[in-house]
Amino acid sequence: MSADALRKQIAATEEQLKSLRAQLHDAETRNTADEITSHDLLPESQWPLSQDEYKRYGRQMIVPNVGIQGQLRLKNAAVLIVGAGGLGCPAAAYLSGAGVGRLGLVDGDVVEMSNLHRQILHSTSKIGMKKVDSAIAYLRALNPDITYQAHPSHLTPQTAEEIVSQYDLVLDCTDHPTSRYLISDICVLLQKPLVSASALRTDGQLLILNSPSRLPGTEGGGPCYRCVFPKPPPADSVVSCGDGGILGPVVGVMGVLQALEAVNLITAGKLEPILTQDGKQDTSASMLLFSSTSSPPFRSIKLRSSRRPKCYACSGEPGTLSLDSLTSGSLDYVMFCGITHPVALLGPEERISAEVYRDVVLGEKRKHLLLDVREKIQFDIAALPNAVNIPFSKIQSSKPVGDAKAEWISLLEDEEQKIREGSEDMAPLPIYVVCRLGNDSQVVARKLKEVCLEGTGNETQKDRWIGDVKGGYRAWREKVDNQWPEY
Amino acid sequence: MSSSTKAPAGHFTILYFASASSHTSKSSEFIAAPLPISKLFPKLEDQYQGFKAKVLDSSLVTVNLEYVDIPDTPTDDEFIIKEGDEVAIIPPVSSG
Repeated sequence: MSADALRKQIAATEEQLKSLRAQLHDAETRNTADEITSHDLLPESQWPLSQDEYKRYGRQMIVPNVGIQGQLRLKNAAVLIVGAGGLGCPAAAYLSGAGVGRLGLVDGDVVEMSNLHRQILHSTSKIGMKKVDSAIAYLRALNPDITYQAHPSHLTPQTAEEIVSQYDLVLDCTDHPTSRYLISDICVLLQKPLVSASALRTDGQLLILNSPSRLPGTEGGGPCYRCVFPKPPPADSVVSCGDGGILGPVVGVMGVLQALEAVNLITAGKLEPILTQDGKQDTSASMLLFSSTSSPPFRSIKLRSSRRPKCYACSGEPGTLSLDSLTSGSLDYVMFCGITHPVALLGPEERISAEVYRDVVLGEKRKHLLLDVREKIQFDIAALPNAVNIPFSKIQSSKPVGDAKAEWISLLEDEEQKIREGSEDMAPLPIYVVCRLGNDSQVVARKLKEVCLEGTGNETQKDRWIGDVKGGYRAWREKVDNQWPEY
Repeated sequence: MSSSTKAPAGHFTILYFASASSHTSKSSEFIAAPLPISKLFPKLEDQYQGFKAKVLDSSLVTVNLEYVDIPDTPTDDEFIIKEGDEVAIIPPVSSG
């Protein structure tokens, strides 16, 4: 293009710009004028929500159950979410999105890689960060208009009153019986309705508790966690998501349902403790069971319609729960729920370390049986090539019928025959039992000793060495093979 | 765990949730009816060793989706599980 043509084009473009600037100026003055007019006619104070709030919450506000009143109730509500994990993450996201005025999050943990398949507010870049900080960073981006409060340590009897009293409604999104009883107790004492959920593997439970929330001993209050489950499960039967496994969408469903119940309670105006004699209040408590593999997947169970007559927390009987006994620590939740002791069934001479197993047993090619007692699902993920899998659950549930051997013992004998094949030496082979962490392996080794060594009158069995690999595959990974999959 | 399979004549269905299911390695089964509710735990304990202490004592029990109290000792007017009923053993799940 020639210099002259370029000059002409620049001049034309400048004209165009000038015209655009004039148009912009006109538009700006017109807008200001409009605003002044509308402000004059309709003072802003007439609208309880801001322009953005109408836009943001409009789609839920036009739902008949919510309306402007429900939205204002949400805005004035303060909800505490205890646990920022698989349940707390989805629950917090929906409550933040719905416009709950103040959200508190309690959690003392940091984000780990194994959380990310289900704890949807955290991300890979946040590994190592406090869960409450990670969650609030996400929530702020989602909805900056809400007040977020971080409580970056676990709830304890000492801190429970101070924290819970700042809120109107509590969501129990924790993962242990001790916290479930503590949260229920403090909610009873402070008259806070409680939405409690839990999940494991493919199943979940949802409970609306202490709703209506009335003083302990008062008529018409909803049952508490202790009314439904007065006795905690034995400590050694409590399975965590880390041990039992959990599907992300299963715990997600439960967390979303908690958010839904919270929204329902708030918008229906059911948060205020009802101290009047309103006998018409709906106290029919129910529990929702979700079992993703069954048909139907949801079951609604009718619970007792009132509190358990002698309930330790909410009956108000003499000698039952009080704020003093809770906060002073005279109520020991850990003792109440029981303590799991590390399994110590075998003596040191009956256990070998992962290194010794590698160096001596594998290194010297000694003939032996390696019995892997993890469940098959774990065995399929990773196992030593020479391992024989007989799952712990199968061993535990098998009962010998009459004089017949238990099936798993016969299985083990068959395996022994295979290893011996072609060999003259018929001496009993040593048996090394291995599991994930070194607990189940001790139980099985002990059982095997009873069956093989003491149970049979067989003399040849007496010399057989039976023991376990101390620390199981975790020790194997730490001490022997750092490429071993950690799951 | 399918409740669509109806119990055969003279039986009720029992559903096992969570740890009750892991302990029995079943999600449901049929048991002969009628059965007084106070006989339920002894009957199950007989079939599955250690079931009562490990699972049943801390579980919620429902009949036809409604909560029932388990009496410690048999009483004259106690609840009787009838043919065709659906009983559920619901242990607390605490993880999340």
